[in-house]
Amino acid sequence: MEPAMEPATAALEAESQETPAPKRLGETLLSVDDISLSFGGVNALSNISFEIREHEILAIIGPNGAGKSSMLNVINGFYQPQKGRVSFKGTTFRRMRPHVAAKMGIARTFQNIALFKGMSTLDNLMTGRLLKMKRNFLWQALYYGPAQKEEVAHREAVERIIDFLEIQAIRKTPVGRLPYGLQKRVELGRALAMEPDLLLLDEPMAGMNVEEKEDMCRFILDVNDEFGTTIALIEHDMGVVMDISDRVVVLDYGRKLADGSPDEVRGNPDVIDAYLGVSH
Amino acid sequence: MNATLARPLTLWLLALPVIIAVLGLALQGLAAVNASVFFAWSYFLEVLFAGLLQGVMYALVALGFVLIFKASGIFNFAQGSLVLFAALTMVGFIEMGLHWTLAFVVTAGVMVLLAVVVERVVLRPLVNQPHIILFMATIGIFYFLDGFGQTLWGSDVKVLDIGIPKQPLFVLQGVFEGGILVNAFDLVAALVGAVLVIGLAVFFHYTRIGRALRAVADDHQAALSVGIPLKTIWAIVWSVAGIVALVAGIMWGSKAGVQFSLALIALKALPVLILGGFTSIPGAIIGGLIIGAGEQVAEVFIGPLFGGAIQDWFAYMLALVFLLFRPQGLFGEKIIERV
Repeated sequence: MEPAMEPATAALEAESQETPAPKRLGETLLSVDDISLSFGGVNALSNISFEIREHEILAIIGPNGAGKSSMLNVINGFYQPQKGRVSFKGTTFRRMRPHVAAKMGIARTFQNIALFKGMSTLDNLMTGRLLKMKRNFLWQALYYGPAQKEEVAHREAVERIIDFLEIQAIRKTPVGRLPYGLQKRVELGRALAMEPDLLLLDEPMAGMNVEEKEDMCRFILDVNDEFGTTIALIEHDMGVVMDISDRVVVLDYGRKLADGSPDEVRGNPDVIDAYLGVSH
Repeated sequence: MNATLARPLTLWLLALPVIIAVLGLALQGLAAVNASVFFAWSYFLEVLFAGLLQGVMYALVALGFVLIFKASGIFNFAQGSLVLFAALTMVGFIEMGLHWTLAFVVTAGVMVLLAVVVERVVLRPLVNQPHIILFMATIGIFYFLDGFGQTLWGSDVKVLDIGIPKQPLFVLQGVFEGGILVNAFDLVAALVGAVLVIGLAVFFHYTRIGRALRAVADDHQAALSVGIPLKTIWAIVWSVAGIVALVAGIMWGSKAGVQFSLALIALKALPVLILGGFTSIPGAIIGGLIIGAGEQVAEVFIGPLFGGAIQDWFAYMLALVFLLFRPQGLFGEKIIERV
C-alpha cells in the first residue's frame, strides 16, 4: 500500500510550492454535533462532530465501512441518528427529513447512481427543479399561461447546467442508456439543478477513468468557484482528495480520527495507521 | 393539451373508422365463405358498439391500476377490492338513508382516508423495497379489504340504483332497417368514463405532479433527494385511485349488483393494461375499447368457427400476442435494459 501513496504525495508537494489565493470561507453552514447511529448492534457512527463552512470543499475519507456514506445519509435525513443533532443555516434538527433537507438547499448524489433511468437527461435535471416550482398544482391547472412561462424559465436554468457540464449531446437520451461516467455527470447535474447551498457527493469519481476523473474534478472546483456552493464529498482517490479539498475529515470504524487541512491530515500518525496498517 | 397525450389519441380517432371498415369487410368475406357465420352491417355495428361500451367499463377499472403503477411502479393487486369496498360503502351509506350524491361524497372521503391509512401502515415502512415486495403487500391489502368490507356491510348481494336509465335505445334508424340497439346505461358509462379521463389528464398533464410521479416510480431514494415528498405523493395517488375505484364500483355495481365478484373484474383489467401499457392513461382507455370490442366481435362472428364461448379467453389471447411483440403496450414507456 505504501508505495501507492507516494506518487500522489509527490505531486501534491510539487503543487503546494505555488501558494494559492486564500479562499473566501464564510460562516459555519452546517454542523453535526455528537452524532451516533447504530443498526441493531453495529455502531455505524459514534459521537461524530464536525462542521462545514460556507464555500468550503470538505472531503470525508476513511476505509470501507468507516461510516462515510452513513454520515451523508444522516445529514440529508435518510438515516435518523439515535443521538446528536444536525444544524443547517442556523436551524437545529433533532430529526432531519429528506424533503426538508432538499427544501433548505441540500442536494446530493449517490454512491450507486440513483437516477430516473427511464427519463431523458433533460427530464432528470428538470426533476431537480420541482421544488423551485410553485407548489400548488391546482393553481397551475387554472393559470396555464403563467405556469408555462415558469416551465420555460426552469428549462433555461437547466440548459445552463447542461452547457456547464458539457452534456448537450445527451440531452434527450434516456439516462439508462448512458455509460457510467456520463450517468455520474447527469446525477451531478440534477443536484446542481436544485441550486443547492450544500452539495453532498458520495464518491463522485468512483469507477471512472483518468480523463473522466479530471473532468469531474474540474466541474467540482468550478461549481465551488463560480456558484460558491459548499461541497462535502466522499472520495477514495487520495490524489484527488488532497488536490481539491480545503479540509479533510477522517472516519474509521464510525469514529472521527482527524479533522484538518490536507497537509495536517496526511501527517497524522493515526490516519496513516488506519489507512496503511500499523507498520512499526 | 399536452402533445404526448393528444397525438396518439387523435391518431387513434382518425384510424378508428378505417380499422372498423377493414374489420367489417374481413368479416363479411368470412361470412361469404363460411356458412356458420352470419354477417350484416347493422348487426356488426351493433355488436361493435356494445363491445366498445363494455370496453369503457373495463377501462374504468384499468385506470385505477395505471395511476398506482405510474406512481410506484407496482401492480396494485388490491385495485379490484378497492372497487368492491367503495361500492359496498356507497350502498351502505345509501341504505342509511343518504341521497346518492351525498353518499358519493362521503364514500369519496372514506376512500381518501383509506389511502392515507394504506400509505401510513403499508407503504411507508416499505420505502425503498423492491417492487415485488410492495406487490406482495397489495395482495395483503386485497384480502384485508375484501374481509373488512364484508364485515362492515355484510356479504349479501346488493342493488345499487342511482337512477341511471337502463332502457334500450334504437339509433341510426334512418340508415339501417330497425336501427341499432344501444343500451342507455352503457352510454352513460361512456360519458362518465370520458369525464373521468379528461379530469385525470388535466390533473396529471397540466400539473407538475406528472413528472414527480414518474420520478417516484423510477427511484424512491433519488426522488427523496430532490425533495419530492414521497408520502404525500403516495397518499394523493392512492386517494385518486380510490375515487376512480369508487366510480368504477358505482358503474359496475349498478350494472351487475354489488357483490364479491366485483373484486374479480380486476382480472379483466389485466389484458387491458397489457394492451394499453401500464403507465398510460389514454392507453387504458384505448386498451379497454380494443378488448371490449374485440371480445364481443370475436364471440359473435368468429366464435361459431370454434363452437362459441371464446369471449372468456379472447382478451387474454390478445394480451399474450401483445406481450410477445410489444411488451410495453401501445402507449407504455419504453423498457430500457442495459446489460
